[in-house]
Amino acid sequence: MADISKVGTGLPPFIFEVDRVKIKELVHAIGDDNPIFVNKETARAEGYLDTPCPPTFVTLAFQEFTCAYLKAFEELGVSLENVLHGEEEYEYLREIYPGDLLTCGMVFESIVPKQTKSGQMVLITLRTSFTNQKGEEVLRARSLIIERK
Amino acid sequence: MIQYVDFNVLEVGDPLPPLAKDPITKVQFVRYAGASGDFNPLHTDDSVAQKGGMKGVIAQGVLIMGFMGQAISGWVNKRDLKRFKVRFMGMTYPGDIITVRATVKEKKKTEAGFFVLCDTVALDQNNEIKVSGQFEVSVGTNT
Repeated sequence: MADISKVGTGLPPFIFEVDRVKIKELVHAIGDDNPIFVNKETARAEGYLDTPCPPTFVTLAFQEFTCAYLKAFEELGVSLENVLHGEEEYEYLREIYPGDLLTCGMVFESIVPKQTKSGQMVLITLRTSFTNQKGEEVLRARSLIIERK
Repeated sequence: MIQYVDFNVLEVGDPLPPLAKDPITKVQFVRYAGASGDFNPLHTDDSVAQKGGMKGVIAQGVLIMGFMGQAISGWVNKRDLKRFKVRFMGMTYPGDIITVRATVKEKKKTEAGFFVLCDTVALDQNNEIKVSGQFEVSVGTNT
């Protein structure tokens, strides 16, 4: 079970680089043909400095490229086979553009055991703040991870 | 210029134009795995998924969230999207046909301006909810 004594701690800050090709790969995988995500001219005509990141792009910041989720689960003593992704939330503060270097700070906000009909589970809330290379906070994320016994 | 929904004229309960997606394919799971870096084999290897008690590979929940993000950034200029949250409800299999719907839940005025809150869901061909959520749009100060 997740180590409750870790609440309030987190991962050391990690860097996520926003790669134009990854944005293209993501929107192609989704099947999103909105030109503002891939066409600089269209994006500029809409008032952006460059192609903005799609709303769910920062999901990449937790996966293989940074291993943030894996590191968090390891730190909390949670086994990967027992976790489900329950909820995901983003608060958008500023645009994120290709080439941005985001510093990501993840905090283990809460760990709450819960008894349900199907057995004991633990609700783990991870909160991550993303800050760009200019020191501007651009996004806040909250992931609810469910640990099943 | 891209035409967005005019949130200024929407009333509580109004629906937004639904986004109907093509049937989901296994190839899409593989592409999403590569794009996102989520290489959990539950999404790409039938034998692993079957060992886990599923009939085969399932979609990454965040792929379906991505469909909802696609719908939202078609309805509203991305920069006016202030908040987006989802709850992952059910498993999505290859062949499932997802439609993203949303309705206006609340219009509110705060110190920061005017906002429209919408409920949104991703449903399959049997109207089963796969992902449910909410998003908040800034509509400036002219309402």
